[in-house]
Amino acid sequence: MTAEPQPVWLTFIVAFIIMNVLLIGMAYMTWFERKVLAAMQDRMGPTRTGPRGLLQPLADGVKLLGKEDLIPAAADKWVFFFAPLVVFVTAIVQVAVIPFGNTITVFGHPVNLFITDLNVGALFLIAFGSIGVYGVILGAYASSNRFSLLGGLRSAAQVISYEIIVGLSLVGIFLLTSSLSVREIMLQQQAMLQIGPLTLPNWFILSQPLAFVLFLIAVVAETNRSPFDLPEAETELVSGFHTEYSAFRFSFYFLGEYINMIVASLFAATMFLGGISGPGSDRFWGLGIVWLLVKVVLFLFFYIWLRATLPRFRYDQLMGLAWKVLLPLVLLNIVVTAFIRLVGNGQIF
Amino acid sequence: MTWDALIFYLLGAVSILAALGVVAAANPVHSAIFLILCFFNVAGIFVMLGAQFLAAVQVIVYAGAILVLVLFVLMLVDPDDLPEFHNARPVQRIVGVLLGAVLLLEVGLAIVSRTVMGQQGNATPELIALVGGNTQALGNVLFSQYLLPFEAVSLVLLVGVVGAIVLALPERLGAGSPRRGTISLGHPRGADQALAAGPAFETPIVQTRLEREEAASLDGSRDLIMVSDPDEYTTIGKRGRVR
Repeated sequence: MTAEPQPVWLTFIVAFIIMNVLLIGMAYMTWFERKVLAAMQDRMGPTRTGPRGLLQPLADGVKLLGKEDLIPAAADKWVFFFAPLVVFVTAIVQVAVIPFGNTITVFGHPVNLFITDLNVGALFLIAFGSIGVYGVILGAYASSNRFSLLGGLRSAAQVISYEIIVGLSLVGIFLLTSSLSVREIMLQQQAMLQIGPLTLPNWFILSQPLAFVLFLIAVVAETNRSPFDLPEAETELVSGFHTEYSAFRFSFYFLGEYINMIVASLFAATMFLGGISGPGSDRFWGLGIVWLLVKVVLFLFFYIWLRATLPRFRYDQLMGLAWKVLLPLVLLNIVVTAFIRLVGNGQIF
Repeated sequence: MTWDALIFYLLGAVSILAALGVVAAANPVHSAIFLILCFFNVAGIFVMLGAQFLAAVQVIVYAGAILVLVLFVLMLVDPDDLPEFHNARPVQRIVGVLLGAVLLLEVGLAIVSRTVMGQQGNATPELIALVGGNTQALGNVLFSQYLLPFEAVSLVLLVGVVGAIVLALPERLGAGSPRRGTISLGHPRGADQALAAGPAFETPIVQTRLEREEAASLDGSRDLIMVSDPDEYTTIGKRGRVR
């Protein structure tokens, strides 16, 4: 099923809408996080700005814009300037390959509910995830601060280790679908499976449960979130790689981190939970987007839940987990999946 | 000029400028950043050639992983400590210039001896579409025609990994020498200047002869130590400011 060709200006409009919704979503992700954390810690969370504190993200944005932009005297100025942008841009670009639906018709125009259907879409996401780490380590280096540098080095080692797990955990899906396109993988999950009396959707969380767990763990580590937030461990590194950043430069790191969480959730929902698939999504496209959002909010809630309940890992535990536990498991998953696939195709036995 | 040509020339120009920047930048970290930019633009050219898989792998492996490790090393080394960057020995300069000239000659000859277009390969768009896409085409060639070189490369990488482990953990492999790691973090850029410009070492107020002798032995310098664990360390020299 190939995508309908559409004029470039239409793609630009779709991209504009998706990216702005993403930015607003990011702002309200901070509100959601504070509210959920507060509920878990028996507090109220933001209540003063707007009803139920709903205007808090706006107030935070205005506050950050008004702060003084400090640059350390010994900083490497140009690198210091662009490092936060690297995090932000690589985070937001990833959404380009996430499908939000199929082709719909608006005023007689066919409109694709995705920005692009790259035939290596999944690799595109992994690639930009790994480029994002430059924002962290270059920012850390340019600050010329030891705490920053330590945070940056931790981040580099952590992201390199865990992006291997992210990539390899998806290999099972690639083997099952024979495709690297995120949209193709999502479409293949819309089929229904008949297992005994049950009719189940062909979501890859059912056929690749181990890969799903490994992917989830690795993606939390790759987005530098608790319990893997060692690059910014407050108790030991002040605030890690962004110690010297203030005002709007800091907020680009902040934006990047939250957008990365949302994109990672979109990615996980699309790869393992069928993306837009759900009851009624094949009849009305809006329902598909609602299903996708529900799944994304579940993942985001999971992120916050982890943050509220788990203590931070020690650094050697973090590395040991990646290389000694997750890597063998993810390789096992690939071997087993490949074997089953060969047997299923009748190529052996 | 079509959009494709315009984008191609943009990518080409930026990658050449970035490659020049790698050589011209005084700071090695800046060189590495230019190299990332260069790789990124080359990946863009791969995409324009229809080799999306190659582009993605180029970004993941080269720009995403290898250069992070290069930066890792560069950030920990103070560029002033490396003679190669500022005042190389004469013999290094001569050898460097000679090797560079040889390389330039080779590249020049390669360009002159063929037409710029090169030879037409057999990977036409039609054939690639026939096997199902650029990823499948690359996989087919890599795991049939070039299987032996592919495996040889993986063997070389394995040797590299084993070598790294031997260097990192000699005592576990029975080499006998105790493990020594330094706690020095190197100097982040500018930290030395900040240290030099900081408050001067204060002479303690002394009363007794014993205290005076002790104060005389303090010169604001620090012992340079090597540690194997928190309880055991070896002093290997003095470093710091001379008063």
